Amino acid sequence: MQFGIFTVGDVTPDPTNGRAPTEQARIKSMVAIARKAEEVGLDVFAMGEHHNEPFVPSSPTTMLGYIAGQTERLLLSTSTTLITTNDPVKIAEDYAMLQHLADGRVDLMMGRGNTGPVYPWFGKDIRAGIPLAIENYALLHRLWREHTVDWTGKYRTPLQSFTSTPRPLDGIPPFVWHGSIRSPEIAEQAAFYGDGFFANHIFWPASHTQRMVELYRERYAHYGHGGADQAIVGLGGQVFMRRNSQDAVKEFRPYFDNAPVYGHGPSLEDFSRETPLTVGSPQQVIDRTLGFRDYVGDYQRQLFLLDHAGLPLKTVLEQLDLLGEEVVPVLRKEFAALRPAHVPEAPTHASLLAAARREEQRSEQQEGEKA
Amino acid sequence: MRERNLVVVSAGLGRPSSTRLLADRLSAAAVGAAAGLGVRLTVRVVELRDVAHELMNHMLTGFPPAALEEALDAVRSADALIAVTPVFNASYSGLFKSFFDVLDGDALVDKPVLIAATGGTERHSLALEHAMRPMFAYLRAVTVPTSVFAATQDWGGDGSEGQLRGRIDRAAGELAREIDRRQAATVADPFALTTPFEDLLAG
Ligand SMILES: Cc1cc2nc3c(=O)[nH]c(=O)nc-3n(C[C@H](O)[C@H](O)[C@H](O)COP(=O)(O)O)c2cc1C
Repeated sequence: MQFGIFTVGDVTPDPTNGRAPTEQARIKSMVAIARKAEEVGLDVFAMGEHHNEPFVPSSPTTMLGYIAGQTERLLLSTSTTLITTNDPVKIAEDYAMLQHLADGRVDLMMGRGNTGPVYPWFGKDIRAGIPLAIENYALLHRLWREHTVDWTGKYRTPLQSFTSTPRPLDGIPPFVWHGSIRSPEIAEQAAFYGDGFFANHIFWPASHTQRMVELYRERYAHYGHGGADQAIVGLGGQVFMRRNSQDAVKEFRPYFDNAPVYGHGPSLEDFSRETPLTVGSPQQVIDRTLGFRDYVGDYQRQLFLLDHAGLPLKTVLEQLDLLGEEVVPVLRKEFAALRPAHVPEAPTHASLLAAARREEQRSEQQEGEKA
Repeated sequence: MRERNLVVVSAGLGRPSSTRLLADRLSAAAVGAAAGLGVRLTVRVVELRDVAHELMNHMLTGFPPAALEEALDAVRSADALIAVTPVFNASYSGLFKSFFDVLDGDALVDKPVLIAATGGTERHSLALEHAMRPMFAYLRAVTVPTSVFAATQDWGGDGSEGQLRGRIDRAAGELAREIDRRQAATVADPFALTTPFEDLLAG
């Protein structure tokens, strides 16, 4: 199982002192957080995409490329890449480039985008959110797998004899997750291609996430990629920890109470009960996270949101220490012990390459036997 | 007897509340009228007061807390509704409106609804016709022709009591007939795929 963090890159004033970081400070802090994630032994760093204040991550491959140069093992991903408003041709090129530079440590998560005005800014119509996600991804999928593509669609200029460059590293396209909150079509899309399905999970009750994942698993099996329990599932989650759980609650409360995403609505206690938000001791985070498996089954990737709501960098780095030292090692062990042997790990460049090599050898052998 | 279910949405704030009182009399009359047509109505009352905080949380977070989700589900799967609000400032109360604001836009399509309201004086009775009925028309519910308004005076028993009872019975009868001539309600599964993926791919 892979563990990691995902950031939305919000610039939010710290409610305890009113100070907001500059954009540059926030951008650099995201890099520091990614480096720390590797240092404490996490597997994945993923970043969101936004084109409006107060968010800074409009240019994920620039940032991920830089982080790739400063890390060695960390898998770089997105959460999410806007498949509706980005040109699929540019996504194909950008991420293949990143994949080469990062020696394959790249995958990405598609999302339809949650900010309405972004669509018209990029010349798209939000009412076509689903058809755009379907068509754009279908093209991206081909661009990474077919050398020369002829293509006509509804939402972009046709392509004739087009080759997207660079070609994916070793001929292996980056693994794709489809990030979703509520649309069955997106679960279906992930299942159709045999791609990963990442349920946002944060901000939503367990029963909802359970239904979405169930749907994806059922359809994954329907399309013949394997058993429903072999489908590739990821979940979000958000935590705030201190050794002593009362300290965690006391320290996080002003951030929760004032954060744009939570603030001035339900109490911290209500929200923690209704959603995966866990504020408490490392042991509470361990118990809660292990509980996710009870309703989604064995899954492959758990990403935590840590650096939001105006929390200072220092605090976020302390969170990463706790996550790396006390939480993830236990989760790794426990999840591994529970996972049946036929449930796969999340695909990586190395595992996909190995599978492709095995496939090649098998067909060579068959050729040989025929000859 | 055929089985159908009636959900009563009451936006009264007091305990006891005259809004709830009116709601109870309406539902009792509807159960009786339906029985006369061979329909056994089971009644579930949703007191919006009980989910008032959840309603606001839903608006702020975008998802309904469990208690509210249950109430919304009840309304979605109801065969008919009785909706009762106190009149505030010549219209339905904000709490009442909020509940229907977070309900999905097509949840009430073709659902029979009896609208009713309580208020201080009968001068506010038209709030039913100029505020409540248009909202349900917008939601494409089938609002029965008779709406029921109970002013403070109606609870006094000085002869107006008989008038209120007559109006309750007439409205309940209209609601029962709408229930009687319909199939049981079905609820669309929000997780269901409506278009095959191949068709989506074809654009
Ligand atoms: C893990 C995760 C992270 C997301 N991050 C972003 C983001 O950075 N920017 C954005 O516009 N939308 C983001 N979204 C929202 C998605 O782009 C999209 O609105 C959502 O997945 C829609 O769900 P649906 O397709 O199931 O309706 C994120 C979604 C998920 C699942």
